[in-house]
Amino acid sequence: MITQYIFYFFAALLIIAAGMVVTVRNPVHAALFLVLAFFSTSAVWLMLEAEFLAIVLILVYVGAVMVLFLFVVMMLDINLVPMREGFARFLPVGIIIALLMAIAMGSVFTAIYFNGAHLDVVTPTATDVNNSRELGKLLFTEYLYPFEIAGAILLVAIVAAISLTLRTGRSKKTQDPSAQVSVKRADRVRMVKMKSEKKSG
Amino acid sequence: MLPQIQLVIPELVLLCLASIALVLDTYSTSKNKVLTFRFVQISLLIVIALIFVVSPDTQEYAFNNHFISDPMSVVLKLVICIISLVVFFYSYEYLKEHENVKGEYFVLGLFAVLGMMIMSSAASLLTIYLGLELLSLSLYSMIAMHKDSLTASEAAMKYFVLGALASGMLLYGISMLYGVTGVLDLQGISSFANAGVDADMNIMLVFGLVFIVVGIAFKLGAVPFHMWVPDIYEGSPTAVTLFISTAPKIAAFAMTIRLLSDGLQDLLSDWQGMLIILSLLSMAVGNIIAISQTNIKRMLAYSTIAHVGFFLLGIISGTASGYAGSMFYIIVYAIMSMGSFGMIIFLGKKGYEADQLDDFKGLAKRSPWYAFIMLILMFSMAGIPPLIGFWAKWFVIKEVVAMGYVWLAAVAVVFSVIGAFYYLRIIKLMYFDEPDEMLAIKASRELRLVLSVNGMVILILGFIPGALMALCLSALS
Amino acid sequence: MSSDMESIYLAIVLAPLAGSLIAGLFGKLIGRSGAHWVTIIGVGISSVLSMYAFKDLMFDGGEIFNRSIYTWLTTGGISFEIGFMVDQLTVTMMVVVSFVSWMIHIYTIGYMHDDPGYQRFFSYISLFTFAMLMLVMSNNFLQLFFGWEAVGLVSYLLIGFWFKRESAIFANLKAFLVNRIGDFGFLLGIAAVLMTFNTLDYNQVFAMAPDYANSTISIISGTDWSLMSVICICLFIGAMGKSAQVPLHVWLPDSMEGPTPISALIHAATMVTAGIFMVARMSPLFELSETALTFVLVIGSITAFFMGLLGLVQNDIKRVVAYSTLSQLGYMTVALGVSAYSAAIFHLVTHAFFKALLFLAAGSVIMAMHHEQDMRKMGGLYRYMPITWVTSLIGSLALIGFPGTAGFYSKDAIIEAVHHSSLPFANWAYIAVLSGVFITALYSFRLFFLVFHGKERMDRNTWEHLKESPAVVTVPLSVLAIPSVILGVFLIGPMLFGDYFTAAIHVQANHDVLGVLGEDYHGVWSFTLHAFQAAPVYLALTGVAVAWLLYIKFPEIPAKIANRFKWIHQILINKYGLDDFNQLVFAGGARKTGSLLWQIGDVKIIDGVIVDGTASAIRWFSGKIRNIQTGHLYDYAFTMIIGLLLLLAVFVHHILG
Repeated sequence: MITQYIFYFFAALLIIAAGMVVTVRNPVHAALFLVLAFFSTSAVWLMLEAEFLAIVLILVYVGAVMVLFLFVVMMLDINLVPMREGFARFLPVGIIIALLMAIAMGSVFTAIYFNGAHLDVVTPTATDVNNSRELGKLLFTEYLYPFEIAGAILLVAIVAAISLTLRTGRSKKTQDPSAQVSVKRADRVRMVKMKSEKKSG
Repeated sequence: MLPQIQLVIPELVLLCLASIALVLDTYSTSKNKVLTFRFVQISLLIVIALIFVVSPDTQEYAFNNHFISDPMSVVLKLVICIISLVVFFYSYEYLKEHENVKGEYFVLGLFAVLGMMIMSSAASLLTIYLGLELLSLSLYSMIAMHKDSLTASEAAMKYFVLGALASGMLLYGISMLYGVTGVLDLQGISSFANAGVDADMNIMLVFGLVFIVVGIAFKLGAVPFHMWVPDIYEGSPTAVTLFISTAPKIAAFAMTIRLLSDGLQDLLSDWQGMLIILSLLSMAVGNIIAISQTNIKRMLAYSTIAHVGFFLLGIISGTASGYAGSMFYIIVYAIMSMGSFGMIIFLGKKGYEADQLDDFKGLAKRSPWYAFIMLILMFSMAGIPPLIGFWAKWFVIKEVVAMGYVWLAAVAVVFSVIGAFYYLRIIKLMYFDEPDEMLAIKASRELRLVLSVNGMVILILGFIPGALMALCLSALS
Repeated sequence: MSSDMESIYLAIVLAPLAGSLIAGLFGKLIGRSGAHWVTIIGVGISSVLSMYAFKDLMFDGGEIFNRSIYTWLTTGGISFEIGFMVDQLTVTMMVVVSFVSWMIHIYTIGYMHDDPGYQRFFSYISLFTFAMLMLVMSNNFLQLFFGWEAVGLVSYLLIGFWFKRESAIFANLKAFLVNRIGDFGFLLGIAAVLMTFNTLDYNQVFAMAPDYANSTISIISGTDWSLMSVICICLFIGAMGKSAQVPLHVWLPDSMEGPTPISALIHAATMVTAGIFMVARMSPLFELSETALTFVLVIGSITAFFMGLLGLVQNDIKRVVAYSTLSQLGYMTVALGVSAYSAAIFHLVTHAFFKALLFLAAGSVIMAMHHEQDMRKMGGLYRYMPITWVTSLIGSLALIGFPGTAGFYSKDAIIEAVHHSSLPFANWAYIAVLSGVFITALYSFRLFFLVFHGKERMDRNTWEHLKESPAVVTVPLSVLAIPSVILGVFLIGPMLFGDYFTAAIHVQANHDVLGVLGEDYHGVWSFTLHAFQAAPVYLALTGVAVAWLLYIKFPEIPAKIANRFKWIHQILINKYGLDDFNQLVFAGGARKTGSLLWQIGDVKIIDGVIVDGTASAIRWFSGKIRNIQTGHLYDYAFTMIIGLLLLLAVFVHHILG
């Protein structure tokens, strides 16, 4: 019984946080709400006995991605006002569409499938089952092929990110210390010999 | 385990070669990156050879039903590799002319090819999705790589956001299917649906199916999920547009067949209805809006949308021969599209994209032979016999008629007549208008040769459509 | 024997193709004279061999040839083949096409003498000859369609041959678009044939056709349409495009922008008759549907009468001949409508010769006049161009059906056939063709008198340079003049009343008007004499007399008439307003719809109606374009979501009920 209340608490928190992400004006606040959303999600996962995923979500998303994201937001000082210009205009239509969508999906879910007839009761796994070991086993046996493809996708992402940000040639504005150190006088100063000028009489 | 590994050797080797190309590129110091380009071309040739060598004639699964090797996958992979080989060639000529050759372009291209190959022989929802993402991510970055071009950055951004939205929908549909059936592999889904489902489950399946169809429609560029096509075609550098409009369409065909036929053939009556709507809208919107375009890349984008409408006809018929008709259509389309964008590259020069219709004015005077090639391309796109484009339309229309959708076939014919108008306008411009400038066209001998061969292939295939059709039929039998 | 014939038929088709390819691809290499020699030899071979084939089939009792030469593709039980069917009908067409084409090739040497596109021109007309031969020799619908499109394409290229003229470009686009409408009907017809019979082979289709005489299809649910009527009318719509029948005739007068040899070859003698030939070839199908025949009859008589009237007010010499062609094509169509297929083909043959003759004569005049085509600036030319004058006279007499000339026999046969027909509207058609005779005579001799007689109205410079055309022009004129006179006498017996076409053309007993005529036929001379007891001859002579009165005796009268009946004159000058109508509705329509839909579809509905709902949306939109990341993307994403919603609503929730 208590678990149900915990679930509803985190679920509600998740929805509120997600809503705030898209509605608050300050981008830093939005990022922080996103962190909150991740936290609630990982709490829900914990309740589903997916401990490994819950931890990874916190570590990777909150610990790395969101921190990086916050850095970027703070450093760039993005002004969201112009981007929100159309927001009010779109809002009425957006709400209507969203409502229709919710009705379309909700009617299917509530009325038909998730009314209990098709759902199995979840039985808790034994305590000696190691979550990360099971995941690892699956990843490297049954899901080896998709796992490898995911690796390739990450590689592409790295290549793309580097090639998009790396600037070479003229646009590069970096120092080269070794070149700075090894510079010689002859490279910088040129001795010019010329006749002394005479004042024109 | 070993025989399973053997099936994926082409993919594995391609992955390794792409990685090597990435490293090699840092050592390719010349401005034109000749080394990387040649290596990528050789890599594709190696992969083509490997596909020939290792692929079995039969249907075989590997990696816990995540991977399938069947005649269709083999043919599609071969076609994808061959088309990419030519596309990279055109792209290289373009980038060289515009002094913007980047090694990463070709490396990412190889990864895109890998993604397409994975999609071609995907046997589970997961691999389809991952293959699609690998392909899309490569494409986004191939466009975005042209940082100096404002339009390219904008196109990349749009493509990325809309692509993410579409992927999200597809993934949602996949999760629905998984939720209902409890399995990820298409074979399992197929047998689940085949075993008979009650009405509740059926609704859930159809619900998931709608999202999956949306994902497919986006990838193909079918109306109303087409909005990205014109903007991305126009905004991207021609080299990338060329790539987007050719090989990925074939991968999209593979995805369509895998999901709808291999997995959900039992829901035929449902997706048939959806595809009919998409097909009608695509033919109408594509053909009619294309008429008012003045930018040829944009015009070809709308023409693509129209072609997708035709292409869907074969899928709609829901039979193996119908699928073969669609496969024929999409391969032919890829060859025609390749040639058309090749012509734009051929006419362009440094700092100038020949992407206005007016750039084709009086081409017959400036270069009769290439005007003739363009004439073949446009006639073929318009579906005028005896060119191959006619047969493509013929096969799909024949299939829908055979399935009793005579009205649909009639509508298709009407739209193909309307469509002929804007293709013919280009021919009119080339043959009956005065050129704005009489400058000689500067293009390398290789480009001239490949373009000529491309045009001739369309002409010759028109006389032996049976060979290609037999190949498609055998792939889907 | 027949294996020999196969290679002969192949040679007939391939010789012009080879000539065309050599002249087209190696034009620069072989030079101007090389180009005309190689094509003339090519077409000459095909012409001589066609005559041989004609002799073989007509006199030596050769067999009808029907065989596939090459199988293109077999799919789903249907095979696409290239094959020849050579029977009496085909061989007649072959002789006409290749012979007229041959003459025109020779004539072109003179006419195009100074044109920079000399080699290209020869290449095109040889290619045209090839395509036309493929069309007539076909043994299946696919090849028919292929030839059909190919002749259309070449004619399109040739109308626009002088592509520096704005009007030529306009004319060729018009020709192409109008023909597409016809082709669309034709294609639907072929598709219907394929669906019904599951084969494209003529013989198989014809053999099965009677079984389907009473079958119906429902195109719009709830209505039953006779299958044969639908097929035949669709096919005939194709013929209407090619053979320039009302209302798809608008391209033909404009196509006179092309060089004159083309007008003679394509727009008088051969291509425009493709529709007539096709209907005659399909006689086993058309015979099964009286509805279709009536349709053909009505269209034909409208064309014959109203297009002739237009010839009266034209001042451009070629346009007069063009309208006369339209009117004569109307006659042929009328003959088809009353099941007098043989008469139609007969008229087609004679018309090919005398109309080519008239066009070439017009060309000769135009050359002498330094490319002046306005008849008001000619006159009295008989003094300077005797050969052209004589041959024109012969051509005109044949055209009006003066007894003894070729045109007389064929036209008289058609009029008589209409008279005997029992189809609805046949009476009206009879009146139309009869009055057509008078009109034909009037405009033909109006042209003749205005050009060759009366005051010399040309300017001084032209007058000083007037001279007869060179031999390459006059020889073809003379050669064509001979059949224009004598052909009728020789052909009428076997072609109309003999059993020449029995194997090729199928006529049901109750439609057989020519059979009725044949009972009264007692040899060619009595037929000729009989004509003097009938109206047509007198109508024609009256027409000539009126023309003489109006244009020689009292040349001031026409202007007065035109003034008095200004509104009629205006209607005729405006060609009944059909051109403007088409211009407005078809040519402009497609383009406008495109941009309209683009504006409405992409701009207004999505941005305006859905998003904003006000007229200011467009301004807002153009503002957004600059800030594309937000403006557009929202729209696109919205469109996708709305699409998704619609699909959900239709396919998921209809199950919910």
